[in-house]
Amino acid sequence: MIKWIKIAFRNIVKNKRRSFVTLLAIATGFAAVSLFRGYADNTYWGLRQMAVRGEGLGHLAIYKKGWLKKGKIDPDKYMFSQKEIQRIIDLVEEDDDVILATPQIHISGLVSNGRTSAIFLANGVIPRDEKIIKGSWAAFRPVKGDVLSDTRLYGVEMAEDLASHLDLKPGSDAVVMASTLDGQMNALDIEVIGVYDTGSDATNDKYIRVPFAFAQSLYDTEKADRVVVLLDDWKKTERARTLLLSVLSGEGLDCEMRTWNELSLFYSKVKGMFDMIFMFLFFIVLVIVVMSVVNTMGMAVIERTREIGTLRALGLKRRGVGLLFAIEGAMIGLLGSILGIVLNVAVWAIIRAVEPTYIPPGVSTPVSLIVNLVPQAMLMLAIFLIVLSLIAAILPARRAARQNVVDALGHV
Amino acid sequence: MTLIETVDIKKDYRLGETVVHALRGIDMTIDKGEFVAVWGPSGSGKTTLLNLIGAIDEPSEGQLFIEGQEVALLSDNKRTELRNRSIGFIFQGFNLIPVLSALENVMLPLQIKGAPFSGARKKALRHLDEVELSDFVHHRPDKMSGGQRQRVAIARALVTDPSLIIADEPTANLDSDTSRKIIGLMRDLNEKGHTTFIFSTHDQRLLDQVGRLVRLEDGKILDGGDVK
Repeated sequence: MIKWIKIAFRNIVKNKRRSFVTLLAIATGFAAVSLFRGYADNTYWGLRQMAVRGEGLGHLAIYKKGWLKKGKIDPDKYMFSQKEIQRIIDLVEEDDDVILATPQIHISGLVSNGRTSAIFLANGVIPRDEKIIKGSWAAFRPVKGDVLSDTRLYGVEMAEDLASHLDLKPGSDAVVMASTLDGQMNALDIEVIGVYDTGSDATNDKYIRVPFAFAQSLYDTEKADRVVVLLDDWKKTERARTLLLSVLSGEGLDCEMRTWNELSLFYSKVKGMFDMIFMFLFFIVLVIVVMSVVNTMGMAVIERTREIGTLRALGLKRRGVGLLFAIEGAMIGLLGSILGIVLNVAVWAIIRAVEPTYIPPGVSTPVSLIVNLVPQAMLMLAIFLIVLSLIAAILPARRAARQNVVDALGHV
Repeated sequence: MTLIETVDIKKDYRLGETVVHALRGIDMTIDKGEFVAVWGPSGSGKTTLLNLIGAIDEPSEGQLFIEGQEVALLSDNKRTELRNRSIGFIFQGFNLIPVLSALENVMLPLQIKGAPFSGARKKALRHLDEVELSDFVHHRPDKMSGGQRQRVAIARALVTDPSLIIADEPTANLDSDTSRKIIGLMRDLNEKGHTTFIFSTHDQRLLDQVGRLVRLEDGKILDGGDVK
């Protein structure tokens, strides 16, 4: 086998210009796919962080069975009682993969500064648990002013655009109004203690974060509509869903669950779009690689027809001739991938050094263009391109192997 | 002892609408250890006959026996193995693999056979020494003269210890002095190693050194078909 690898390698080196063009085509394709994959990887990470920590969705949300369909019509019936909340938290936190389980209540209503009012959507959270869910994300999008506190019942965090519309700043007072679960109008004073950026134009003029007890008080209830679960690794989400559902069901708690990606519509849409672009790009690269290799190997077969005849006369079987050219194709794929890795790392280093920024659609602030190096994906892509080049070389290799020895020897 | 036997071999080629009768019934036997030249004018069928005897082509009619085996009954793989094991080729254009050194070219038939590297290397070096190319083992073909290349080709043909070496116009691309030396070398190897040589030529000067002449014309043997 080594001798065939040697012959294949030397033939690639011998046809420097042609081989270089082919290798460059593969390398450029490799780098394009790999860089986009690295960009998507970073974007997915960012969106995941934004959903799980920024939006405070956690990895799993547990609802009482029926909440998702009928919760809006009859919320009181489909909310968890205090006893149920505690039971669920105790059972869920028995799982070693669970960092935290915390009750939440989503509310909506009107917020007024005394002169004008606006619609708000609020998430009632336990401040100390919210701090754990936010984690390092808190430093990425810091709250201007103070954060929620267990000791400041009426202190709320307000999204930047909403605060701006109502001319509210940290330290300003306002009033929120909403219907209680019984249908009575209720109003409570609030103090805007912090202002934050949700990161999305769609939510930046609507969102408020309030203490859990405040939200319960506004809705005049002691219940919660969900229990949010934070895991130590997002990859365990599906496993945790299956396991926890069976544990809760075994304890007579009929629940339904949604994962963070099911709840974050933005993540799903962006991921869907990126996956489509990736497939499109991948298909283009695939066509370029196949055509380049088929062309190169086809020309190699024509140029080396006499050599093929000689090898056959010397006793090399048809299979051996096919193998020789297949190895050459695979080697072109290998060398192209290696060059592609070099190109990829070079572009990655330039991007790291330049640190370009851009404002994606629907996002309120500029974000850095960050491309991750994903060694596992690069390895998979390299293997794929090597196999693809090998397959692309098989067609001309088979043609080479089938040639009549005398015709091949007489080829000029 | 008979090495090659042809029985009424015919070979036709189709060129468009025309059928060319390259061989019109060849009956010939070649014994082990013979040094045979096939000669005749261009188009007489010399190369076609050598291709058939070398098992790289198939006759349109007739039978060919190599070492008692009828070649037509062998599969492509078996025929390829037969070539690798029993037949060495020396081509007019040398046909060395350009990306391999002289040593690697000579080792190639052994490596195709599956011989271990060290054994193949040792044997190839011995045969390169035999053709007086010990100082050129690492040279690639493009760095060698025509005569040197042909000697590499001879070493390559000999390396598997074949019972038959076929040389199609081995001196056609060489000057007369080098041609004389190459034929002398082949003759030497034939006498010392008892390897059977069959080669084609239309160079009258070389024919004087040959033990048996087979004269072809218009695809037929005019004389020399039987062992003297």
